[in-house]
Amino acid sequence: MLFRRIYQFMIVYVIGVIFLWMIKLSLGLSDYVIPGISLLKDTAEEFGTGYFMDVVNTLSVTVLGQFLSIIMAFTVGIAGRKSSWIGSFIKVTAYNIQAYPIVALAPIIFILLGDGFLSRLLIASMICYFPLLLSVLGIMATPVTDIEHFYIVTGRMRWQLEVKIRAFENLSKLTTVIAGSATLAMAGTIVGEFISANAGIGYSIRIALYQSDMAKILIALFMIGIIISIYQGILESMGEHIKHRWSIVNKGDEL
Amino acid sequence: MHLECSQLSFTYPGSDNAVIENLSFSMEKPGFKALFGPSGVGKTSLAKMIASMVPVNDGQILCQGIETVLYSYNLERLPGWSSCGNHLDKVTPEGKEMLQEQLVDIFELNEVTGSRFSQLSMGQQNRANLIRYLLQDFDLLILDESLANVDEKLREKIILSIKEIFPDKMFLYISHNLMEVSKFCSQILVFGKPGGQKQNFLIHGQDYTQGYELDKESLDHCMLEIMNAF
Repeated sequence: MLFRRIYQFMIVYVIGVIFLWMIKLSLGLSDYVIPGISLLKDTAEEFGTGYFMDVVNTLSVTVLGQFLSIIMAFTVGIAGRKSSWIGSFIKVTAYNIQAYPIVALAPIIFILLGDGFLSRLLIASMICYFPLLLSVLGIMATPVTDIEHFYIVTGRMRWQLEVKIRAFENLSKLTTVIAGSATLAMAGTIVGEFISANAGIGYSIRIALYQSDMAKILIALFMIGIIISIYQGILESMGEHIKHRWSIVNKGDEL
Repeated sequence: MHLECSQLSFTYPGSDNAVIENLSFSMEKPGFKALFGPSGVGKTSLAKMIASMVPVNDGQILCQGIETVLYSYNLERLPGWSSCGNHLDKVTPEGKEMLQEQLVDIFELNEVTGSRFSQLSMGQQNRANLIRYLLQDFDLLILDESLANVDEKLREKIILSIKEIFPDKMFLYISHNLMEVSKFCSQILVFGKPGGQKQNFLIHGQDYTQGYELDKESLDHCMLEIMNAF
Protein backbone atom coordinates (compact mmCIF):
# COMPACT_ATOMS: atom_id res chain seq x y z
CA MET A 1 0.00 0.00 0.00
CA LEU A 2 2.86 2.36 0.93
CA PHE A 3 4.82 1.66 -2.25
CA ARG A 4 1.70 1.84 -4.39
CA ARG A 5 1.08 5.38 -3.14
CA ILE A 6 4.69 6.39 -3.96
CA TYR A 7 4.49 4.81 -7.45
CA GLN A 8 1.20 6.59 -8.10
CA PHE A 9 2.69 9.93 -7.12
CA MET A 10 5.85 9.36 -9.20
CA ILE A 11 3.74 8.59 -12.28
CA VAL A 12 1.64 11.74 -11.82
CA TYR A 13 4.71 13.87 -11.13
CA VAL A 14 6.61 12.60 -14.18
CA ILE A 15 3.53 13.14 -16.40
CA GLY A 16 3.25 16.70 -15.05
CA VAL A 17 6.94 17.52 -15.71
CA ILE A 18 6.78 15.99 -19.22
CA PHE A 19 3.68 18.12 -19.90
CA LEU A 20 5.61 21.24 -18.82
CA TRP A 21 8.54 20.27 -21.05
CA MET A 22 6.18 19.78 -24.01
CA ILE A 23 4.88 23.33 -23.46
CA LYS A 24 8.47 24.55 -23.15
CA LEU A 25 9.46 22.86 -26.44
CA SER A 26 6.34 23.81 -28.36
CA LEU A 27 6.46 27.49 -27.30
CA GLY A 28 10.28 27.74 -27.26
CA LEU A 29 10.37 28.92 -23.65
CA SER A 30 13.65 29.50 -21.81
CA ASP A 31 14.97 27.63 -18.74
CA TYR A 32 14.01 30.71 -16.72
CA VAL A 33 10.30 29.97 -17.30
CA ILE A 34 10.37 26.15 -17.33
CA PRO A 35 13.63 24.53 -16.20
CA GLY A 36 15.31 21.73 -18.18
CA ILE A 37 16.63 18.45 -16.80
CA SER A 38 20.08 19.77 -15.91
CA LEU A 39 18.75 22.81 -14.06
CA LEU A 40 16.29 20.63 -12.18
CA LYS A 41 19.15 18.27 -11.24
CA ASP A 42 21.37 21.13 -10.04
CA THR A 43 18.53 22.67 -8.00
CA ALA A 44 17.71 19.30 -6.48
CA GLU A 45 21.34 18.82 -5.42
CA GLU A 46 21.57 22.32 -3.97
CA PHE A 47 18.16 22.67 -2.28
CA GLY A 48 16.84 19.10 -2.05
CA THR A 49 18.02 18.43 1.51
CA GLY A 50 16.82 21.82 2.76
CA TYR A 51 13.42 21.35 1.17
CA PHE A 52 13.21 17.85 2.56
CA MET A 53 13.72 19.26 6.06
CA ASP A 54 11.14 21.97 5.34
CA VAL A 55 8.58 19.32 4.31
CA VAL A 56 9.37 17.33 7.45
CA ASN A 57 8.79 20.52 9.43
CA THR A 58 5.45 21.05 7.67
CA LEU A 59 4.56 17.38 8.16
CA SER A 60 5.16 17.60 11.91
CA VAL A 61 2.63 20.46 12.08
CA THR A 62 0.29 18.47 9.81
CA VAL A 63 0.45 15.35 11.98
CA LEU A 64 -0.19 17.32 15.14
CA GLY A 65 -2.97 19.33 13.47
CA GLN A 66 -4.61 16.19 12.12
CA PHE A 67 -4.37 14.47 15.49
CA LEU A 68 -6.05 17.45 17.13
CA SER A 69 -8.77 17.55 14.51
CA ILE A 70 -9.43 13.80 14.88
CA ILE A 71 -9.85 14.20 18.64
CA MET A 72 -12.09 17.26 18.19
CA ALA A 73 -14.15 15.59 15.44
CA PHE A 74 -14.75 12.47 17.56
CA THR A 75 -15.55 14.50 20.67
CA VAL A 76 -18.05 16.72 18.89
CA GLY A 77 -19.29 13.87 16.67
CA ILE A 78 -20.04 11.67 19.69
CA ALA A 79 -21.68 14.57 21.53
CA GLY A 80 -23.74 15.47 18.47
CA ARG A 81 -24.90 11.95 17.58
CA LYS A 82 -28.12 12.17 19.60
CA SER A 83 -31.34 13.50 18.11
CA SER A 84 -31.72 15.82 21.12
CA TRP A 85 -31.68 19.62 20.64
CA ILE A 86 -27.97 19.81 21.51
CA GLY A 87 -27.19 17.09 18.94
CA SER A 88 -29.25 18.86 16.28
CA PHE A 89 -27.62 22.18 17.18
CA ILE A 90 -24.11 20.71 16.81
CA LYS A 91 -25.01 19.08 13.47
CA VAL A 92 -26.57 22.20 11.98
CA THR A 93 -23.68 24.39 13.20
CA ALA A 94 -21.09 21.99 11.77
CA TYR A 95 -22.85 21.80 8.39
CA ASN A 96 -23.08 25.60 8.20
CA ILE A 97 -19.54 26.39 9.32
CA GLN A 98 -17.93 23.80 7.02
CA ALA A 99 -19.48 25.60 4.04
CA TYR A 100 -17.22 28.60 4.78
CA PRO A 101 -13.69 28.41 3.31
CA ILE A 102 -11.39 28.12 6.32
CA VAL A 103 -8.38 29.37 4.32
CA ALA A 104 -10.14 32.72 4.04
CA LEU A 105 -9.87 32.97 7.82
CA ALA A 106 -6.10 32.39 7.76
CA PRO A 107 -5.15 36.09 7.62
CA ILE A 108 -7.19 36.75 10.78
CA ILE A 109 -5.38 33.92 12.56
CA PHE A 110 -1.97 35.28 11.49
CA ILE A 111 -2.91 38.81 12.57
CA LEU A 112 -4.08 37.60 15.97
CA LEU A 113 -1.50 34.89 16.69
CA GLY A 114 1.48 35.98 14.58
CA ASP A 115 3.31 33.86 11.99
CA GLY A 116 4.61 31.16 14.32
CA PHE A 117 3.90 27.51 15.00
CA LEU A 118 0.49 28.02 16.64
CA SER A 119 -1.05 29.73 13.59
CA ARG A 120 0.11 26.94 11.27
CA LEU A 121 -1.20 24.30 13.66
CA LEU A 122 -4.58 25.99 13.97
CA ILE A 123 -5.03 26.34 10.21
CA ALA A 124 -3.95 22.71 9.59
CA SER A 125 -6.38 21.35 12.16
CA MET A 126 -9.27 23.57 11.04
CA ILE A 127 -8.85 22.63 7.39
CA CYS A 128 -9.24 18.89 8.02
CA TYR A 129 -11.53 19.19 11.06
CA PHE A 130 -14.83 19.87 9.30
CA PRO A 131 -14.72 17.11 6.66
CA LEU A 132 -13.75 14.71 9.46
CA LEU A 133 -16.50 16.01 11.71
CA LEU A 134 -19.18 15.58 9.05
CA SER A 135 -18.12 11.97 8.45
CA VAL A 136 -17.92 11.15 12.17
CA LEU A 137 -21.28 12.84 12.81
CA GLY A 138 -22.87 10.90 9.96
CA ILE A 139 -21.50 7.60 11.26
CA MET A 140 -22.20 8.21 14.94
CA ALA A 141 -25.73 9.52 14.34
CA THR A 142 -26.80 6.47 12.32
CA PRO A 143 -28.05 3.63 14.53
CA VAL A 144 -27.04 0.05 13.77
CA THR A 145 -30.50 -1.17 14.74
CA ASP A 146 -29.89 -4.88 14.14
CA ILE A 147 -27.11 -4.88 16.74
CA GLU A 148 -28.23 -2.14 19.10
CA HIS A 149 -31.82 -3.39 19.56
CA PHE A 150 -30.92 -6.09 22.08
CA TYR A 151 -28.83 -3.78 24.25
CA ILE A 152 -31.52 -1.09 24.23
CA VAL A 153 -34.45 -3.35 25.15
CA THR A 154 -32.49 -5.11 27.86
CA GLY A 155 -31.25 -1.81 29.33
CA ARG A 156 -27.60 -2.61 28.66
CA MET A 157 -26.86 0.18 26.23
CA ARG A 158 -24.19 2.66 27.37
CA TRP A 159 -22.84 5.50 25.26
CA GLN A 160 -19.42 3.81 25.11
CA LEU A 161 -20.97 0.62 23.71
CA GLU A 162 -23.07 2.60 21.23
CA VAL A 163 -19.96 4.40 19.96
CA LYS A 164 -18.01 1.14 19.80
CA ILE A 165 -20.75 -0.61 17.77
CA ARG A 166 -21.09 2.28 15.30
CA ALA A 167 -17.33 2.74 14.95
CA PHE A 168 -16.78 -1.00 14.41
CA GLU A 169 -19.53 -1.24 11.81
CA ASN A 170 -18.06 1.73 9.92
CA LEU A 171 -14.38 1.05 10.43
CA SER A 172 -13.56 1.06 6.70
CA LYS A 173 -15.26 4.44 6.22
CA LEU A 174 -13.51 5.92 9.25
CA THR A 175 -10.02 4.79 8.26
CA THR A 176 -10.55 6.01 4.68
CA VAL A 177 -11.73 9.42 5.92
CA ILE A 178 -8.82 9.76 8.37
CA ALA A 179 -6.24 8.77 5.73
CA GLY A 180 -7.88 11.13 3.24
CA SER A 181 -7.87 14.01 5.70
CA ALA A 182 -4.05 13.81 5.85
CA THR A 183 -3.91 15.43 2.41
CA LEU A 184 -6.28 18.15 3.58
CA ALA A 185 -4.21 18.81 6.70
CA MET A 186 -1.00 19.01 4.63
CA ALA A 187 -2.64 21.32 2.10
CA GLY A 188 -3.96 23.50 4.94
CA THR A 189 -0.55 23.77 6.57
CA ILE A 190 1.18 24.62 3.28
CA VAL A 191 -1.43 27.24 2.39
CA GLY A 192 -1.08 28.73 5.87
CA GLU A 193 2.71 28.84 5.51
CA PHE A 194 2.35 30.27 2.06
CA ILE A 195 0.15 33.13 3.27
CA SER A 196 2.29 34.14 6.20
CA ALA A 197 4.71 31.99 8.18
CA ASN A 198 8.37 31.85 9.00
CA ALA A 199 9.05 28.16 8.43
CA GLY A 200 7.91 25.11 6.48
CA ILE A 201 7.75 24.19 2.81
CA GLY A 202 4.93 26.68 2.13
CA TYR A 203 7.24 29.46 3.30
CA SER A 204 10.03 28.14 1.00
CA ILE A 205 7.63 27.99 -1.95
CA ARG A 206 6.64 31.60 -1.28
CA ILE A 207 10.31 32.64 -1.43
CA ALA A 208 10.77 30.63 -4.66
CA LEU A 209 7.70 32.36 -6.08
CA TYR A 210 9.12 35.80 -5.32
CA GLN A 211 12.33 34.68 -7.08
CA SER A 212 10.23 33.26 -9.98
CA ASP A 213 12.30 30.08 -9.62
CA MET A 214 10.23 27.29 -11.19
CA ALA A 215 12.96 24.69 -10.57
CA LYS A 216 12.80 25.25 -6.81
CA ILE A 217 9.01 25.02 -6.90
CA LEU A 218 9.13 21.72 -8.83
CA ILE A 219 11.66 20.25 -6.37
CA ALA A 220 9.52 21.41 -3.43
CA LEU A 221 6.45 19.80 -5.01
CA PHE A 222 8.38 16.57 -5.48
CA MET A 223 9.38 16.51 -1.79
CA ILE A 224 5.82 17.29 -0.69
CA GLY A 225 4.39 14.53 -2.90
CA ILE A 226 6.83 11.88 -1.73
CA ILE A 227 6.40 12.64 1.96
CA ILE A 228 2.60 12.96 1.87
CA SER A 229 2.47 9.63 -0.04
CA ILE A 230 4.53 7.98 2.69
CA TYR A 231 2.38 9.55 5.41
CA GLN A 232 -0.87 8.47 3.77
CA GLY A 233 0.51 5.00 3.14
CA ILE A 234 1.43 4.69 6.83
CA LEU A 235 -2.06 5.86 7.89
CA GLU A 236 -3.73 3.35 5.55
CA SER A 237 -1.50 0.54 6.82
CA MET A 238 -2.38 1.50 10.39
CA GLY A 239 -6.08 1.44 9.43
CA GLU A 240 -5.71 -2.04 7.95
CA HIS A 241 -3.88 -3.17 11.06
CA ILE A 242 -6.65 -1.85 13.33
CA LYS A 243 -9.34 -3.49 11.16
CA HIS A 244 -7.45 -6.78 11.29
CA ARG A 245 -6.98 -6.57 15.06
CA TRP A 246 -10.65 -5.84 15.66
CA SER A 247 -11.80 -8.62 13.40
CA ILE A 248 -9.83 -11.40 15.07
CA VAL A 249 -11.35 -13.21 18.01
CA ASN A 250 -10.06 -11.74 21.23
CA LYS A 251 -11.26 -13.83 24.11
CA GLY A 252 -10.19 -11.37 26.78
CA ASP A 253 -11.92 -8.26 25.51
CA GLU A 254 -14.68 -6.40 27.26
CA LEU A 255 -17.99 -5.11 26.01
CA MET B 1 -51.04 -13.85 32.92
CA HIS B 2 -53.32 -12.04 30.53
CA LEU B 3 -52.74 -10.13 27.28
CA GLU B 4 -55.70 -8.29 25.86
CA CYS B 5 -56.02 -5.95 22.90
CA SER B 6 -59.24 -4.05 22.32
CA GLN B 7 -60.26 -2.05 19.26
CA LEU B 8 -56.60 -1.71 18.26
CA SER B 9 -55.79 0.25 15.09
CA PHE B 10 -52.46 1.21 13.61
CA THR B 11 -51.45 3.26 10.60
CA TYR B 12 -47.85 4.05 9.73
CA PRO B 13 -47.09 7.79 9.65
CA GLY B 14 -47.60 9.16 6.14
CA SER B 15 -49.75 6.22 5.06
CA ASP B 16 -53.49 6.29 4.40
CA ASN B 17 -54.04 2.57 4.82
CA ALA B 18 -54.39 1.11 8.27
CA VAL B 19 -52.16 -1.91 8.90
CA ILE B 20 -54.32 -2.99 11.82
CA GLU B 21 -57.96 -2.06 12.17
CA ASN B 22 -60.21 -2.64 15.20
CA LEU B 23 -58.28 -5.67 16.36
CA SER B 24 -59.56 -7.26 19.55
CA PHE B 25 -58.37 -10.48 21.12
CA SER B 26 -57.26 -11.87 24.43
CA MET B 27 -54.61 -14.44 25.29
CA GLU B 28 -54.46 -16.18 28.64
CA LYS B 29 -51.89 -18.14 30.61
CA PRO B 30 -48.19 -18.75 29.95
CA GLY B 31 -47.00 -20.83 26.98
CA PHE B 32 -46.64 -20.47 23.25
CA LYS B 33 -49.11 -18.24 21.40
CA ALA B 34 -48.85 -17.44 17.71
CA LEU B 35 -49.49 -14.60 15.30
CA PHE B 36 -50.15 -16.15 11.91
CA GLY B 37 -50.96 -14.75 8.51
CA PRO B 38 -49.54 -13.64 5.20
CA SER B 39 -46.86 -10.94 4.92
CA GLY B 40 -47.97 -7.35 5.39
CA VAL B 41 -51.02 -7.98 7.56
CA GLY B 42 -49.56 -6.31 10.64
CA LYS B 43 -48.06 -9.15 12.70
CA THR B 44 -44.79 -7.32 13.32
CA SER B 45 -46.58 -4.01 13.87
CA LEU B 46 -48.77 -5.60 16.52
CA ALA B 47 -45.75 -7.24 18.15
CA LYS B 48 -43.94 -3.90 18.27
CA MET B 49 -46.98 -2.23 19.80
CA ILE B 50 -47.16 -4.89 22.49
CA ALA B 51 -43.43 -4.34 23.16
CA SER B 52 -44.06 -0.55 23.31
CA MET B 53 -41.67 0.00 20.40
CA VAL B 54 -44.29 1.84 18.36
CA PRO B 55 -47.12 3.96 19.79
CA VAL B 56 -50.69 2.72 19.73
CA ASN B 57 -52.80 4.96 17.44
CA ASP B 58 -56.16 3.79 18.63
CA GLY B 59 -57.51 1.25 21.11
CA GLN B 60 -55.62 -0.24 24.03
CA ILE B 61 -53.34 -3.06 25.07
CA LEU B 62 -53.87 -4.51 28.51
CA CYS B 63 -51.17 -6.63 30.15
CA GLN B 64 -51.87 -8.36 33.45
CA GLY B 65 -49.02 -10.26 35.09
CA ILE B 66 -46.74 -9.15 32.26
CA GLU B 67 -44.17 -6.63 33.41
CA THR B 68 -41.32 -7.11 30.97
CA VAL B 69 -41.88 -7.64 27.26
CA LEU B 70 -38.91 -8.37 24.98
CA TYR B 71 -39.07 -8.35 21.19
CA SER B 72 -36.56 -10.43 19.20
CA TYR B 73 -36.39 -10.77 15.42
CA ASN B 74 -34.48 -12.78 12.90
CA LEU B 75 -32.26 -10.07 11.40
CA GLU B 76 -30.51 -9.19 14.63
CA ARG B 77 -26.76 -9.42 14.84
CA LEU B 78 -24.17 -9.73 17.59
CA PRO B 79 -21.24 -7.29 17.49
CA GLY B 80 -18.38 -8.59 15.35
CA TRP B 81 -15.37 -7.75 17.51
CA SER B 82 -15.60 -10.80 19.71
CA SER B 83 -16.74 -14.42 19.62
CA CYS B 84 -20.38 -15.42 20.20
CA GLY B 85 -19.36 -17.23 23.38
CA ASN B 86 -17.83 -14.04 24.78
CA HIS B 87 -20.90 -12.02 23.93
CA LEU B 88 -23.17 -14.58 25.59
CA ASP B 89 -20.98 -14.55 28.71
CA LYS B 90 -21.19 -10.76 28.87
CA VAL B 91 -25.00 -10.63 28.67
CA THR B 92 -25.71 -13.57 30.96
CA PRO B 93 -27.03 -12.29 34.30
CA GLU B 94 -25.36 -13.60 37.41
CA GLY B 95 -26.71 -16.98 38.47
CA LYS B 96 -27.86 -17.96 34.97
CA GLU B 97 -24.55 -19.48 33.82
CA MET B 98 -25.96 -23.02 34.06
CA LEU B 99 -28.99 -22.01 32.01
CA GLN B 100 -26.67 -20.53 29.40
CA GLU B 101 -24.76 -23.82 29.15
CA GLN B 102 -28.01 -25.77 28.95
CA LEU B 103 -29.41 -23.54 26.18
CA VAL B 104 -26.18 -23.62 24.16
CA ASP B 105 -26.35 -27.39 24.37
CA ILE B 106 -30.04 -27.62 23.37
CA PHE B 107 -29.59 -25.11 20.56
CA GLU B 108 -26.59 -27.19 19.32
CA LEU B 109 -24.15 -24.28 19.35
CA ASN B 110 -21.38 -25.86 21.44
CA GLU B 111 -18.99 -26.10 18.52
CA VAL B 112 -19.38 -22.52 17.33
CA THR B 113 -19.24 -20.47 20.53
CA GLY B 114 -15.61 -19.62 19.72
CA SER B 115 -16.58 -18.23 16.31
CA ARG B 116 -17.53 -14.71 15.43
CA PHE B 117 -21.16 -14.02 14.52
CA SER B 118 -20.38 -13.42 10.85
CA GLN B 119 -18.77 -16.85 10.62
CA LEU B 120 -22.01 -18.62 11.62
CA SER B 121 -24.73 -19.85 9.27
CA MET B 122 -28.00 -17.91 9.29
CA GLY B 123 -29.70 -20.59 11.38
CA GLN B 124 -26.85 -20.56 13.91
CA GLN B 125 -26.98 -16.76 14.04
CA ASN B 126 -30.68 -16.82 14.86
CA ARG B 127 -30.19 -19.46 17.52
CA ALA B 128 -27.33 -17.51 19.16
CA ASN B 129 -29.47 -14.39 19.16
CA LEU B 130 -32.46 -16.17 20.73
CA ILE B 131 -30.31 -17.58 23.54
CA ARG B 132 -29.38 -14.01 24.56
CA TYR B 133 -33.04 -13.14 25.02
CA LEU B 134 -33.92 -16.32 26.89
CA LEU B 135 -31.21 -15.50 29.42
CA GLN B 136 -32.79 -12.15 30.29
CA ASP B 137 -35.57 -11.46 32.74
CA PHE B 138 -38.87 -11.32 30.87
CA ASP B 139 -42.54 -12.21 31.22
CA LEU B 140 -43.41 -12.12 27.53
CA LEU B 141 -40.91 -12.82 24.78
CA ILE B 142 -41.92 -12.09 21.20
CA LEU B 143 -40.17 -14.27 18.64
CA ASP B 144 -40.59 -12.59 15.26
CA GLU B 145 -39.38 -15.37 12.97
CA SER B 146 -36.54 -15.78 15.46
CA LEU B 147 -36.07 -19.40 14.44
CA ALA B 148 -35.99 -18.77 10.70
CA ASN B 149 -33.40 -20.79 8.77
CA VAL B 150 -33.26 -23.42 11.52
CA ASP B 151 -34.05 -26.93 10.30
CA GLU B 152 -37.45 -28.32 11.25
CA LYS B 153 -36.24 -31.07 13.56
CA LEU B 154 -34.02 -28.76 15.61
CA ARG B 155 -36.72 -26.09 15.67
CA GLU B 156 -39.13 -28.58 17.20
CA LYS B 157 -36.55 -29.62 19.79
CA ILE B 158 -35.89 -25.96 20.67
CA ILE B 159 -39.57 -25.01 21.00
CA LEU B 160 -40.38 -28.05 23.16
CA SER B 161 -37.34 -27.36 25.38
CA ILE B 162 -38.26 -23.71 25.80
CA LYS B 163 -41.78 -24.73 26.85
CA GLU B 164 -40.31 -27.09 29.42
CA ILE B 165 -37.63 -24.73 30.81
CA PHE B 166 -39.86 -21.64 30.94
CA PRO B 167 -43.29 -22.95 31.99
CA ASP B 168 -44.34 -19.64 33.58
CA LYS B 169 -43.44 -17.35 30.66
CA MET B 170 -45.53 -16.30 27.72
CA PHE B 171 -44.12 -16.50 24.17
CA LEU B 172 -45.65 -14.80 21.16
CA TYR B 173 -44.40 -16.73 18.16
CA ILE B 174 -44.56 -15.17 14.69
CA SER B 175 -44.08 -17.77 12.00
CA HIS B 176 -45.28 -18.67 8.53
CA ASN B 177 -45.15 -22.38 9.28
CA LEU B 178 -48.74 -23.60 9.52
CA MET B 179 -47.89 -27.03 10.87
CA GLU B 180 -45.56 -25.63 13.53
CA VAL B 181 -47.97 -23.08 14.98
CA SER B 182 -50.77 -25.66 14.94
CA LYS B 183 -48.69 -28.21 16.81
CA PHE B 184 -46.96 -26.11 19.45
CA CYS B 185 -49.11 -23.08 20.18
CA SER B 186 -52.10 -22.98 22.48
CA GLN B 187 -53.70 -19.92 20.87
CA ILE B 188 -53.20 -18.73 17.30
CA LEU B 189 -54.28 -15.29 16.19
CA VAL B 190 -54.89 -15.57 12.45
CA PHE B 191 -54.77 -12.31 10.50
CA GLY B 192 -57.02 -11.76 7.49
CA LYS B 193 -55.72 -10.99 4.02
CA PRO B 194 -54.24 -7.50 3.57
CA GLY B 195 -56.53 -5.08 1.78
CA GLY B 196 -59.52 -7.40 2.12
CA GLN B 197 -62.03 -7.86 4.90
CA LYS B 198 -59.68 -7.57 7.86
CA GLN B 199 -61.25 -10.18 10.08
CA ASN B 200 -59.06 -11.87 12.63
CA PHE B 201 -59.70 -15.18 14.36
CA LEU B 202 -58.32 -16.69 17.51
CA ILE B 203 -57.93 -20.43 17.05
CA HIS B 204 -56.90 -23.03 19.61
CA GLY B 205 -53.81 -25.01 18.67
CA GLN B 206 -52.66 -28.43 19.81
CA ASP B 207 -50.09 -27.05 22.32
CA TYR B 208 -47.90 -30.18 22.26
CA THR B 209 -45.23 -30.60 24.93
CA GLN B 210 -42.19 -32.94 25.31
CA GLY B 211 -43.04 -36.58 24.54
CA TYR B 212 -46.28 -35.73 22.76
CA GLU B 213 -48.32 -38.21 20.78
CA LEU B 214 -49.48 -36.86 17.47
CA ASP B 215 -53.24 -36.69 17.06
CA LYS B 216 -53.38 -36.43 13.30
CA GLU B 217 -57.10 -35.81 13.08
CA SER B 218 -57.09 -32.91 15.56
CA LEU B 219 -54.02 -31.43 13.94
CA ASP B 220 -55.59 -31.59 10.48
CA HIS B 221 -58.72 -29.99 11.86
CA CYS B 222 -56.71 -27.18 13.46
CA MET B 223 -54.72 -26.53 10.28
CA LEU B 224 -57.90 -26.52 8.21
CA GLU B 225 -59.45 -24.04 10.60
CA ILE B 226 -56.46 -21.72 10.23
CA MET B 227 -56.45 -22.04 6.43
CA ASN B 228 -60.14 -21.19 6.31
CA ALA B 229 -59.60 -18.17 8.52
CA PHE B 230 -57.71 -16.16 5.90
